[in-house]
Amino acid sequence: MFRQLQVRFGGPLAMAIVTLLGIWLIVMVTLPQLQMIEYSLKPNLLPAQIGGPEDRLTLANYATLFNNDIHRAIFLKTLWSSVLVTLLTLAVSYPLAWYLAKVATPRQAALCILLLIVPFWINEILRTYSWFIILAFRGPLNEVLMMLGLIERPIRFLSGNGGVMVGMVYAYILFMVFPLYNAIESLDDNQVRAARDLGAGTLRTHRRIVIPHAKPGIATGCIMTFMLAAGSYAVPALLGSPGSRWFTQIIYNWFFEGGNWNQGAAYAFLLLVLCIGFMSLVMKVFKVGLGDIGR
Amino acid sequence: MDGSVRLDEVVMRFGDFTAIEKTSLAIGSGEFFSFLGPSGCGKTTLLNIVSGFITPSEGQVFIGGEPMAGVPVNRRPTAMIFQNLALFPLMTVFENIEFGLEVRGVDKRQRREVSERLLALVALEGSGPKRVTELSGGQKQRVAIARALAVEPRVLLLDEPLSALDLKLRQHMRAELKAIQRKTGITFIYITHDQGEALTMSDRVAVMSAGRIQQVADPMTLYREPATGFVAAFVGENNRLEARVIDREGERVRLDGGALGELAGRAGPGVRLANGEAAALYVRPEHLRPVAAGAAGPRFDTEIEAVHFEGAWVMLETRLAATGEKLRVQLGHEVSRGQAEALAAGQRMTFAYDPGDAVVLPDDGSPVVDEETGEVVESDRAQAGGAHV
Repeated sequence: MFRQLQVRFGGPLAMAIVTLLGIWLIVMVTLPQLQMIEYSLKPNLLPAQIGGPEDRLTLANYATLFNNDIHRAIFLKTLWSSVLVTLLTLAVSYPLAWYLAKVATPRQAALCILLLIVPFWINEILRTYSWFIILAFRGPLNEVLMMLGLIERPIRFLSGNGGVMVGMVYAYILFMVFPLYNAIESLDDNQVRAARDLGAGTLRTHRRIVIPHAKPGIATGCIMTFMLAAGSYAVPALLGSPGSRWFTQIIYNWFFEGGNWNQGAAYAFLLLVLCIGFMSLVMKVFKVGLGDIGR
Repeated sequence: MDGSVRLDEVVMRFGDFTAIEKTSLAIGSGEFFSFLGPSGCGKTTLLNIVSGFITPSEGQVFIGGEPMAGVPVNRRPTAMIFQNLALFPLMTVFENIEFGLEVRGVDKRQRREVSERLLALVALEGSGPKRVTELSGGQKQRVAIARALAVEPRVLLLDEPLSALDLKLRQHMRAELKAIQRKTGITFIYITHDQGEALTMSDRVAVMSAGRIQQVADPMTLYREPATGFVAAFVGENNRLEARVIDREGERVRLDGGALGELAGRAGPGVRLANGEAAALYVRPEHLRPVAAGAAGPRFDTEIEAVHFEGAWVMLETRLAATGEKLRVQLGHEVSRGQAEALAAGQRMTFAYDPGDAVVLPDDGSPVVDEETGEVVESDRAQAGGAHV
């Protein structure tokens, strides 16, 4: 990398770029992570006890999760719900990406993409609050549904997982649509025409031609959406209820309410392992490498 | 049901633009039929109408006598070979060929039997398990043919499938396509801008220009008896000389060539030529032969501007002494042998032709010969790499 930069920018500038990048990677990314790992492996002690006989490495913080039924259930629920969010987002995004890439005229596509992006000019918390209002017990959605006579009494959208799902699909849809759009857009139109010409219907054309071609895009979108969903704090905090707590909320509690950073670090690290595990699994299932995802 | 195709007063409009003027045409079952024309003449649109990718604005398409209105692409008895072949890159050769059968629910063993047989037909035995990305251009071509034949179409539609190949391979594939067509007896509808392809393979050719069919005929008739100025200029090479009709006796027409003196030619098929009417005389380069200056009959005194030695023949670019117009002359090797000194730029030569070889057509100012398409003809010929037929 240094040689390529040197050819392009000359020695001093290349050195500066590499140095800055190195500092960023080491100081901002690697060292804090290492510190978190160290925290997670030590018991939560009073300042006076640090350096004392009790200050030794232990896996006790990790064991907490496996010994606490409620925390374990929330961990698994977060995993399962994030998978669900990912699948829902994929289901919503695929037809949209197909429309944008292959059906819409350039004008329609540009307008549609603009409409998709505009809400993201507003802060995520504010957007989530607006869903809170829309989905509220006496909110506009219930009003509209009652006015249309579809329901007789208001529904508690925010009591279960429903609100969290809606909020997350909405918050992360772009991270799914754009990789999918990029992948589908690069498909030669004649491939689809050839499949049709050979007798394939719409479903089979997608299953055999479009989806295999779009696989790297699907994998990228799924990985991003899953990571964002699993690591989301604002959406479950605002749209969730006590019955739909997210693992990130537990981590938050350890850090800022329990004051137990060591325990929080261990939980955060487990969440990271979960995400890496999911990512490797998706890459294996879709048979794509890191290089494909980078594209 | 047979593989005949009939277009009944088909019209295609895109907004204000008429891509296909009202066209009626019947293609016989088992015929090798080509649409020949410059890019933008509407031939691909016509192919898409037959395959069902486009619904015509007006008119009807019949395949095997059955109307195709409302029959979607995937239910038509046609198969298409795309210009870029559109093989499925993520599948093996087998999977490509068997795709159409898989769609039709044919079981795996039977599918494999069919694809093995087709691979043998296109001389690609043993290539089945390969990925299509491992194949050469010519092999991909064959896989595309096999994939289209696998669904047993009654009509095979070919959209300039050879244009991506190099000249040698292209000529080889022409012979092969023709052989496959004969063996299978399937109707082939072939789209090309390359007259060499159209003339060598087809039973009949429709020459198209600006959304209109100019002439439908077998290749030899097309070449010898062009019905319009466009066909005369587009198919093969022709020298166009403007003249005025003096009189006509049967097929034979006497013309007043102005400064060129009296000319003569044969009236084009079915054309009416009134005495005194403006006309155009088409003389092919290979029909001109050198004669002594001052010989009797129609003749052209010229000065040679350039000499192109092509091996089997010599192409001369000359200028008419009388009018300054260009005249291209092709001399066979038996004429040009030992003439190295006479055949040089700046030399004067006189040429004559047999009036029976020259075609007279009304100077109808057809859009084609006039301006823009005249240019298309030029570039098209350049692309064909000097493939004179």
